[in-house]
Amino acid sequence: MLEKIKNSKGLMLVLVPHLVWIGVLFVLPHIKLFGLSFVDRRSGEVTLGNYMKFFESELYRDVFMHTALFAILVTLITLAIAFPTAFIITKILGKKMKAALLLGIVLPYWISELIRVFAWMVLLRETGVVSYMLQAIGVTSQNIEFLYQNGTIVIGLVYTSILFMIIPIMNSLDSLDNSLIEASYDLGGNFWSTMKEIIIPHAAPGIMVGSVMVFMLNLGNYVTVTLLGGKNSLWFTENIYNQFIVRFNHNQGAAFGVILLTFSVLVVWISLKVTGQDMAEAM
Amino acid sequence: MTQEIDVSVSNLTKQWGDVKAVNNVSFDVPKGSFFSVLGPSASGKTTVLRMIAGFETPTAGDMFIGGQRINDLPANKRPCNLVFQRLALFPMMNVIDNVTFGLRRRGGIDKAEMERMANDVLARVDMKGLNERKISQISGGQQQRVALARSLVLDPTVLLLDEPLSALDLKLRQDMKLELKRLQARMGTTFMYITHDQTIALAMSDTIAVINFGKLEQVASPDTLYREPATHFVASFVGENNRWNNGKVVELVDEKTCRVDFGGILSNARMGEKLQPGDNIDLFIRPEMILLKPGKQKPGSLGKIKEINFDGSHSLVVVDLVESKIPLSINVKLQHTEETPEIAIGDTVTLSWGRTKRPAANAFLHIEPPTDEEE
Repeated sequence: MLEKIKNSKGLMLVLVPHLVWIGVLFVLPHIKLFGLSFVDRRSGEVTLGNYMKFFESELYRDVFMHTALFAILVTLITLAIAFPTAFIITKILGKKMKAALLLGIVLPYWISELIRVFAWMVLLRETGVVSYMLQAIGVTSQNIEFLYQNGTIVIGLVYTSILFMIIPIMNSLDSLDNSLIEASYDLGGNFWSTMKEIIIPHAAPGIMVGSVMVFMLNLGNYVTVTLLGGKNSLWFTENIYNQFIVRFNHNQGAAFGVILLTFSVLVVWISLKVTGQDMAEAM
Repeated sequence: MTQEIDVSVSNLTKQWGDVKAVNNVSFDVPKGSFFSVLGPSASGKTTVLRMIAGFETPTAGDMFIGGQRINDLPANKRPCNLVFQRLALFPMMNVIDNVTFGLRRRGGIDKAEMERMANDVLARVDMKGLNERKISQISGGQQQRVALARSLVLDPTVLLLDEPLSALDLKLRQDMKLELKRLQARMGTTFMYITHDQTIALAMSDTIAVINFGKLEQVASPDTLYREPATHFVASFVGENNRWNNGKVVELVDEKTCRVDFGGILSNARMGEKLQPGDNIDLFIRPEMILLKPGKQKPGSLGKIKEINFDGSHSLVVVDLVESKIPLSINVKLQHTEETPEIAIGDTVTLSWGRTKRPAANAFLHIEPPTDEEE
């Protein structure tokens, strides 16, 4: 059956939308971006100048480091929240509770990210709900601004991306036969050793997929970071936006884009190597 | 000398809502014995095992291993190990790491010593030279061996086995069955084996506990269980039997035996429970205990051969009893020997049973059969 489909000429036709998607919207723009990044804006000559600018400028480097570290931090925090959540939902709770909680996690994602971030702004702004509540119960006597701080950005990013961590981990935990956990206890294992030897190794592909997705989403996030962090967000995507839109320097923006892309590929590659996993296997 | 008891269970009960999955079960497992718990599916046998292993909490009753009460011990502290039905080997580890898993949890054993212990027990289960293989790279029979080794290496007081052979194909299951029994005899570890497969239980066990609807029906040696079933259920569940419903007790012959009447055919039967003349009874007759002779002979009951089902070493012969006032037929297991008479469908034969010390027929008070069986 599959062999027949494999040999049929019409198969490629079905793949056309996908190939167009990859080719026109992904590969071509990246080639163009890559090309642009090596061209001087004024003279049009081939140059490494756009990259030199990044490495020479302390500001760009700092913003980049800040973005990278926070993206990693947010990924780790998301993992720390998502793993226990996924574990409890898949392994501890009954079927009904499981469905209800899963729906609760997915439901907010039916609304656009922009709207969800605005909701956070309503909560956290100086004249917002949280500030008002704190005054009402007498914790403080004046308005408190919760927006435009690193902590707020972290909260926002964790909130925005946690679904993409929970779902793959739940998938991998779902496929873990409960009798393996019982066998570990039977042979003298306790909670921690079972976690370390059985559960986490089994869930590792899910953890990896979730972490890669969340990390990428965070590193390239613009909306959440800009709205919750304002001008002080120091997120690298803001620099790319500025180069392209504000300063109309496509070449510089392209160089920044390539740097960000290279970095994220590098981080994913290193973490796959460190955890001894295969991308194809993990996905 | 009184026999040492390794596992003792008293008045064990497990209730789920209104259902008593295990109902007031008590038994003792002698040290070094092969003890089976036999029952149909959903009889509560697995629940008994899981309570002993520590994965379910009993509603009532006590459990002891080696004299120590284990009710309040967590699963990982109990001196017993479980071989799971689907084995539950760790797929993320290779063979040797699976076997040393329990040793590593204990701590205080150096790595070389652990490997020596693991290799030792792997050799005992005939699993040499595959230490580095992943679980997915070894066969089903080999996985059985690794699962056994993984538990045995911890030298448990009792090894609990939850039908681990049921996943194997018939041939392998029969080989493993014998091997398991030899292994048990060699190692002297007490085995407690849960199964719904009576051929496994009868072949391997020193003692069998039969359980049905959560209740213990009988605890006995395979031989006793087979020849002298204590309850109606054991008689119908263990081994093949002819079952005739709705007979009458005519008289009591002695303390154990009564004379029963089925449509005019009279038979001696062992009384499985206390019976009085006039009681309405069901009669169970072992097909292999019936003597079949060609032609009209005395004593015995005349019959006419209806079917012959050839099965190699024996034939299953269905005989209509012509002297009966009600339509009555009986299955006879005819062993093929040099003296076996030549028979054909339609032949007249004489059947007799119950003339030796070994009981061929067992009588129990009549119980309505669960489905409308004929005969």
